[in-house]
This record gives sequence, structure tokens and C-alpha cells, in this order.
Amino acid sequence: MNLLLADVRALAGLPRTAAGRRVLAASGGGLLLLGLLSWWFANALLDQPGLVVALHDASDGRSQAALFGHALTACPMVAAWLGLALAQRTLFEAPELALWRLAPLPPWRPALQALLRAGFAATLWSLAIAGPGLVAVLRRGPAPAWAFALTPLAVVAATLPTLAATLAAQLLIVRFLAGRWLRLLLVVFAAAGSIGFSTWLMLALFGKPHDHARDVVAFAAGERATPWSVGPAAALLAAAARGELDLRALRDLALWLLATFAGFRLVGRAHPAACERHLAAELPAWRRGGSRWPAGLATNVLRKEFAQVAQQPGALVGFLVFAVLVFAMCQRRVLVAGVLAAPSLPADVAAFAALMAWWFLAVLMVLNTHMGRITHWDGPQWALWQCAPAAPGAILRGKMLAVLAMLGWPLLLVAFAGVAVLDARADVVLAYAATALGGSGVALGVLTLVGTIPVLVRHDGDGGSLQGGKGLVAALLLVVGMQVAALPALYAWHRLGEHAADHGLALDDAWRAAPVVIGAALAYGAAWCGLGWLVGSWNFARLLRPR
Amino acid sequence: MSEAAIRASGLGRAFDDRWAVRDLDLAVAPGEIYGFLGQNGAGKTTTLRMFAGLLRPSAGELRIDGLKHADAGRALRRRIGFLPDTPPLHDYLTARQHLALVASLWGVPRRERDERGDRLFDALGIAGQVDALCKAASHGTRKKIHLAAVLATAPSVLLLDEPTSGLDPLAVRQLKDLLGEQARAGATVFLSTHGLELAEQVCHRIGILAGGRLRAEGTAAELRAQHGDASLEDVFLAVTAAAR
Repeated sequence: MNLLLADVRALAGLPRTAAGRRVLAASGGGLLLLGLLSWWFANALLDQPGLVVALHDASDGRSQAALFGHALTACPMVAAWLGLALAQRTLFEAPELALWRLAPLPPWRPALQALLRAGFAATLWSLAIAGPGLVAVLRRGPAPAWAFALTPLAVVAATLPTLAATLAAQLLIVRFLAGRWLRLLLVVFAAAGSIGFSTWLMLALFGKPHDHARDVVAFAAGERATPWSVGPAAALLAAAARGELDLRALRDLALWLLATFAGFRLVGRAHPAACERHLAAELPAWRRGGSRWPAGLATNVLRKEFAQVAQQPGALVGFLVFAVLVFAMCQRRVLVAGVLAAPSLPADVAAFAALMAWWFLAVLMVLNTHMGRITHWDGPQWALWQCAPAAPGAILRGKMLAVLAMLGWPLLLVAFAGVAVLDARADVVLAYAATALGGSGVALGVLTLVGTIPVLVRHDGDGGSLQGGKGLVAALLLVVGMQVAALPALYAWHRLGEHAADHGLALDDAWRAAPVVIGAALAYGAAWCGLGWLVGSWNFARLLRPR
Repeated sequence: MSEAAIRASGLGRAFDDRWAVRDLDLAVAPGEIYGFLGQNGAGKTTTLRMFAGLLRPSAGELRIDGLKHADAGRALRRRIGFLPDTPPLHDYLTARQHLALVASLWGVPRRERDERGDRLFDALGIAGQVDALCKAASHGTRKKIHLAAVLATAPSVLLLDEPTSGLDPLAVRQLKDLLGEQARAGATVFLSTHGLELAEQVCHRIGILAGGRLRAEGTAAELRAQHGDASLEDVFLAVTAAAR
């Protein structure tokens, strides 16, 4: 209980200092923004004409339970993501772990504390993503006031079991199979979890409500399996929406939670041994070399960024996981089934459009990671940039060059996927590559603009970066910024579609227009790049000033 | 004293209405090694961070090499080398790559960088570890790596925050030799330390900071004489106790 109290006191103490207040404001602001987006999305979904009738038919009259169940599926998603992404840090590398392990506590207590901490974070995220949807459904029926009070309980019950299961599985695996390669494998899982979750969130929040309505109906019809931790919580809320308290569902929830803590306490006994094995299994360092770098500033910064990827197994693995995800996305023809089947478009034009759509999605998946390279990830080294006499614009140029080169990875992957999946012709792939190069310039400009906004990326006094909310706001702003920057291309595509539907589109005409399209894309990309560098340099200089 | 390499007049820095350093007046001559002593939280690191240009003073004026700190910008930063207590290393760069990065930021030509780097790595006893990742280096080695990188930029004012913490006796000896060499070459060295022996042996003058104010200043011999030929430890304890 003392450990719990210490964490609660630390949280309660946050408002007493300026840095703590900033952390609270940033985290709260970010989650609030996510909650508002979820609220907007949930209402747009519920306003879909015909949804209720289709749901009623698909679920044998249990449309509300289906809606609650669908909204609550976000909870195990969040839990699995945080369980995978934070497991190593929470279970084995928390700063206080050494103290907890030295203290005369039961062997399972530190692990349980790690679960509670991760559970708190996961519950906040789940509340921000699923909570608004649940409240929106309750508001549309004759639900009594106490039904709304059950929402947090339902969210906790839908989140904690998956989180505990994910953490427990990793704890046991490390206990019995620890080794360098297992640690690397866990890094792969963490990377896959992070990329997968951000992609899911992006598609969920920025997708079309009409498509989501179809998903909900499919879910209600039982075409998609209900996550095991969601059923009782959905049943409880569905009954509450009718003004009834479902004691059986409530008992099931309580049992789930009890079983979760009891099971984790049992597994937690393996935590001390797992910690030792984790520490003994340092990740392999892949590169050793004595090559001497050139003296130019931008080249050095560029090589530094590349060295940090090439010499860091986790980062390298992240690139490989991303490649697998992109190929999986292309093979399932995500986003482009309609385009490829459009009868009015020549096959080459449809293939080009499909490649561009995939490229756009792939770039959105990595944009936030690359934005971190501009300022966010250099927190502990920020004093070095601040002390240096180099021009801020020159440092930024080196970082932008590195990011531009890394943006070549999604471009290449989609090009390969185009050949492998769509059997696209070489000239189509080349046209795509040239256009996407312009797009990479746009992406670079946008991420530099957002990634240098001082209020979002400024480090604290000790060089640490403020996690959570500020990063989330920056990520959301990045996605919105990228979509705004892509509006001219979307508008042009819309007009082309209209023209093709009305008058048809000959392949020769499309090829005649290709140089103009490519030239416009490159010029547009260069303009965004230049704007990003100009504004970014100014902001970068502000960030480097003494505080 | 118009030629002072570091001159602070009425310098102060407040955090949330609490003064960490206040009314600091000091001057350090070129080629001098100045030791800054003080208890934990006395304001040593804050002073060094102001000198290094990481923190903006809340009061007073600061000049480095005659240039007003607030206005001089990059020209001034080129002359300063700063070794913080936690070295700003990139874990996934090797020591040689880190040195190359720092040298490029200071505009050091490649040949000079390589010559200085090899000599400094050798002088600090880490020549065998320069191609290993910084992540694997111990705390002391990380300090040595960044010190080599800082010295490779040939700063005229060298600021060191607790340079001997985490160093073994041999490394401390190597550091003393290097600092002496830097001072003889004309560089000004300003270091904060809890090592009274180091301060007594290496520093030309010593300042004792307590409660954010400079309470005593002079050579080690002068400070001892002011307190009846007591040891430097007794002087330190007396000065800091009087300030409480």
C-alpha cells in the first residue's frame, strides 16, 4: 500500500511545481483532445442513416449491446499496445525498481506495482478513446444517471485483464527464456505494437463514418469475434442503458478483476528472477568500426542520425517491422479496392493512384517517429546543441536531410509492393516514385514545421522531454497538417475522377499529363520543404536560446 | 582586471521566485584555473550553466573574453567548452563518432580533429574504447569521452561541472595533467568540485559558494591563512556553516 501511496502522492504533488503543472496540462490537454475527437467520431457514427435498423437486424435486437461492445474493443487494443510497448520499461527498467527489489517486500509486489502504473496509463487512454463513444450511446437512450457512472468501471474491466495478460506473458517468457535474441524479439513486438496501434487509431479517428458503420454492423452480426474481456462490461452497460442493474454482469466483472490481480500476483513471483535475466541479456551491439567521419556539420548530423538507426538494433528492427506492415497493407489492398475496381480509370492510372494512397498511409505511419528526430529525441543531448556555435539552420538542415533519406524507405517499400502485388509496369512505378518524392518533400516540410513548435517540443530544464499529452498533440497536429497539405492532390484526384466518369479517360491523355503532375508534385514538395526549413530554423533557434 | 576571461558582476538567477545564485561578483584571468566549491544545491551548476549559455541570468552582467554574454551569440560559444555532470552523449554513437559530431558543430577541420582526438583519447586512457558504442561506457568513461570531444574544439574557456565524479585515481591524475596543460596553453579553466584535494592541488584560486552567494575567495593558502592555518576542509565547513 505504501508504494501505491507514494505514486498517488507523487501525482498529487505535480501541481505544486511549474514543471509538474506543465506535465499535467500537456497530458490532460492531449487526452482531452483525443477524447473530443472520439466524441465527434462517435456522434458521426451514430448519425449514420440506417445504422440502428441494420444493427437491430444483425444483432437479434441487441443493438445497444453491440454498440457498447464495439466501443469497448478499443480498451483491449490500448492494453495490448501499452502492454507490448511499455513492458520492458515498466517491468524491468523502472527507475524505482532497484529500491523496490531491495526493500523487504513480497517478491510479487514490484510486478504488481508495475501493473498498477501501466493500468493507470492504459485506463486514461481507454477512457479518452472508448469513453466518449459509450457516453454518446447512453445519451441516445433513456439511460438513468447512474448508468453513466458505470462507464469507468466498464472501461477498467475491459482494459486491465488484457494488460495483465500481456505483461504476465512477457514476464514469464523472460523468466524462462531470457537471452539477447529474446530481448530483441520483445523489441520487435513493442515496435509492432506501437506502429500497429498508431495505424489503427489513425484509421479509426480519421476514417469515414460510413465505413465504420459497416464495421459495427459486421461486429454485431458476429462476423468479428468479441474480445474476451469486453463481453461482461458491454452487457452491464446495455442493461444499465435500459435502467436495469445486471447483477450477473456485475459479478462477472468483479470476478474478472479479482482473477486478474490474483493471477498476476501468482505470476509476479517470477519477477525477481526475470529482472536478473533481463539485465543479464543486454541487446547485441551490431556495429563496431573505426571509420572517420567528414568534418561538415550537416553531413555529421546526417550520419549521426543514420548511425543511431544502424547501430541500434531496436530501431533497425522497427524499420523491418514497418516493411512487413506495409506489405501486409498492400496485399490486403487497404484503402484502394474501390480505386482499382473503378471501370472509368485505365489500369495504369488506377495502379498509380493505389500506389500514392499506400505511400500516403505508409508515410503517415512513420511521420511521428521521424518528427522525433528533429528535436524530441535529443533531450539528453540538447545541451550540446545549445552550447554549440553552429548556425541553428545548419543543424536543422542536417536533420532534415536525414529524415528525407529515411522517408525514402516507405517510398521504396510501396514501389516494391506495387510490382509484387499490383504487377504495376515499370513506367507507372517510376511515375509514382517521382511524384512520391515530391510528396516526401511535403511530409518533410510539415513534420519540420510541427516538430519545431517550441510549445510542443521544448525540453524541460534537465533536457528531458515531456511525454504524453504534448507528444500526442504534436502527433495529431502532424496528421492534420499532412492531410491539409495533401488537399490539392486530393482535389485534383476528385476532379480527375469526375472527368473520367463523365467523359472517360484515355491512357494516352494520362501519360501526356504525367510530366505536369510530377513537376507540380516536385515543386509543391520543394515549396513545403523550404517553408519548413525557414520557419523551422527560426523556431529551432528559439529552442536553442538559454532559458 | 579588464582582461579577465570570465567576469561576472552582480550575477543572479532565480527559479520560481527562489534565488539559486545571487549577487555573484568574480573575475577569472586567462590561463587561470578557478575552483568553485560549495555544498549540494549551493548554486555551482546554475552558475556554470549561465556561463555556458544554457541559462539566462535573472540579474547582473556576464562577460566572457570581454564579450557581453547576452549579445555575443555564436562568436562567444565558439570559445567555450562545457563538460556537464551528465555528459550529453548519444548512446548509439561510438566515442570517435561523438567527437566528430562535436567537432563539426564547432567547425574544427578534419585533420586537426583527428590529430587532437587521437592525442586526447590517448591522454585520457580511452584509446582502446573509441570504436565502442557510448551506451556501453561507464559513467567515468562517458565523462572522458565528452571531455576529449570538448577539448578537441580547443576552447579558450573551459567549464567543468564535477569533472572528477566517477573517475578512478589514475583518471583523476590524467585529468589534473590535462587541466594544467590547458592552463599553460592559455585556456581559462573554471571547475566546480567537491574534491577539496583536487581544488588545493590544481586550482590557482578557489571560491566558496553557499546559499547562492560567493562567501570566500582566494588561493588555497590565503583561505587557510584567513582561518588560522586550518585545513581547506575546515575552511569550507566554517564558511558554509556561517552562511546557514
